[in-house]
Amino acid sequence: MPSKASLALALGIMVLAGWGVFSTFSWPWKAALFPLVIGIPLFCMAAAEVLWVLFGSTARSEAMDFQLSTDLPARVVLRRTLLAMAWIAGFFAAIVLLGFPVAVPLLVFLYLKVPGGERWGLSLVFTVAVWAIFYGLFDRLLHLPFPDGLIVTWTGFG
Amino acid sequence: MIEAFVEGLVLVLQWKAFAFMLLGIGLGFWVGLLPGLGGATTLALMLPFIYTMQPVEAFAFLLGMHAVVATTGDITSVLFGVPGEATSAATILDGYAMTKKGEAGRALGAALASSLVGALVGAFALALAIPVVRPLVLTFGSPELFMLAIVGLAFIASLSAQGGRGMLRGFLAGGLGLFVATVGQDPQAGIARFTLDTLYLWQGLDLVPVLVGIFAIPEIVDLAVRGSSIAGDRPQGRLGRGALEGVKDTFRHFGLTIRCSLIGTFIGIMPGLGGSVAQWIAYGHATQSAKNAQELEGFGAGDVRGVLGPGAANNSKEGGSLIPTVAFGVPGSTSMAILLGGFFLMGLVPGPDMLTTHLVVTFSMVWTIVIANVITVGVCFLFLNRLAALSAVRGQLLIPVILVLVFIGSYTANNHYGDLIVTLVFGAIGYLMVGAGWPRAPFVLGLVLGKIAENYLYISVARYGAAWLARPVVLVLIGVALVVIVYPLVQARRARTRKGAHA
Repeated sequence: MPSKASLALALGIMVLAGWGVFSTFSWPWKAALFPLVIGIPLFCMAAAEVLWVLFGSTARSEAMDFQLSTDLPARVVLRRTLLAMAWIAGFFAAIVLLGFPVAVPLLVFLYLKVPGGERWGLSLVFTVAVWAIFYGLFDRLLHLPFPDGLIVTWTGFG
Repeated sequence: MIEAFVEGLVLVLQWKAFAFMLLGIGLGFWVGLLPGLGGATTLALMLPFIYTMQPVEAFAFLLGMHAVVATTGDITSVLFGVPGEATSAATILDGYAMTKKGEAGRALGAALASSLVGALVGAFALALAIPVVRPLVLTFGSPELFMLAIVGLAFIASLSAQGGRGMLRGFLAGGLGLFVATVGQDPQAGIARFTLDTLYLWQGLDLVPVLVGIFAIPEIVDLAVRGSSIAGDRPQGRLGRGALEGVKDTFRHFGLTIRCSLIGTFIGIMPGLGGSVAQWIAYGHATQSAKNAQELEGFGAGDVRGVLGPGAANNSKEGGSLIPTVAFGVPGSTSMAILLGGFFLMGLVPGPDMLTTHLVVTFSMVWTIVIANVITVGVCFLFLNRLAALSAVRGQLLIPVILVLVFIGSYTANNHYGDLIVTLVFGAIGYLMVGAGWPRAPFVLGLVLGKIAENYLYISVARYGAAWLARPVVLVLIGVALVVIVYPLVQARRARTRKGAHA
């Protein structure tokens, strides 16, 4: 994971910086100065990292940062990671399609029931509590404008 | 100056600012206790909620929350051997050992009392530093301020990961942050840069969705991967009546507590080092207080001095790290980099203004650190036994709540679905960075400093041409940046040579 992730990041940065530097050729110097000053060394450093990953040592350098858990089998980690990402993506899709007021209680309840395996009573009470906080704080108190979901807009219900 | 100092206190004690501070303390209290949620992440999550606040209220809320995270983080370290925060990991060594010996109350008393002493020392250092750094900051022009941004980035990039490889990744992360900051309409010529022909990107990437994504998403995924109760399956027990003994220990070893507080403050001032480093250096210093080999062996097996050192240092570093953040716009840690984002959301620019026009706001920060810690330590002592139960919150209950906060938090930045996409994209980047062992702090710093660094660079070049590079302070700062980059490499090389000689 570390080498592949590092390679993906470094390649992504190389492409990004290369595109950035190339784009500046058509800009006036005022707009191009900073992207050039940043883009050129960024491209070179990313290239160095790519070469390091491909041909250098595989030693992992520890960042003084949050570390992912390593005490589970790799297959379990991969499965759970993909599942967690699917839930996040699903929540995003639910917000866009159904809108926040529907997506929030739906996600909380489904998450508690499906991966969480919680009891019906707890799941319902917890969902209602989260929805009440969401509605009370963001809708009633802060008056944040949450738009209807695309399904509501398309069908005209709401 | 004295007037501003007193006015800072008065502003913090006004009902609205005080209420926000209490809210922040309440949040920070939980965040510190729960191992699955980091202080920096919560700071990022709470940034969207400060838009409507006044600066003093916003900093009372954010700093009140952040100032207590390390204090309550020690509680989980002592009780369960699980650090509530990365900054409270060193407390486990002797704190958890004391718990296993049946001295949990004493360890907690020592951790809390030393945390309070540390926080007071850090806040005192911040207050004391303001008149000292003010004349220095006021002499700086655009070239010097641009170079300061580069020095800050060099510090955080070179020190937030190990060795040459780590440094390269640190600079890559920092450079990426600076690059991402250029997205949007350029302030000088009005050119739309890297906007992908979308109107949403014309104003540039908002800090909040980016920070929320890069910090919260990796932690949520990891919490889901672990799949257990948040503090693991460790048993909870009564804490006993030793807490008072722990407080007495703090005063029995008062010299050590003060020295470790000063170590924490000093490390806090050094950009890029942060609390994770402070606690270990303080722990190292605490072990040096052993008078003989027998006493030394007691460290790691439940010596209260091993709790006092890190406990004091990880709190005092907050005041210390605010000094470069407020005075130079160079944050001392990841959390401070996020807090720097809060400055910009409030329309405040760190540097001379914070020490002149907004001096009262700066002093209100000092008071917030002091008051927040006094309240937290008091509450902890009152509810010591019940606190143990809090760490048993199941991950399954926490994840949907954090996800709701993530999406609402990022959406409120611009009330646009684009914010959610930005959060997801930077969540993926953050996850890759954590997985690859790349530090995220330089990225945040680059992103936060990008716009002002570009402005300073443009003014420097437009006003002085290439001559800005020859200004004395600029030359000194270039030298400092080079030393910051080269010194860790030389040190690593020396260590390798010594290792080779011993083998």
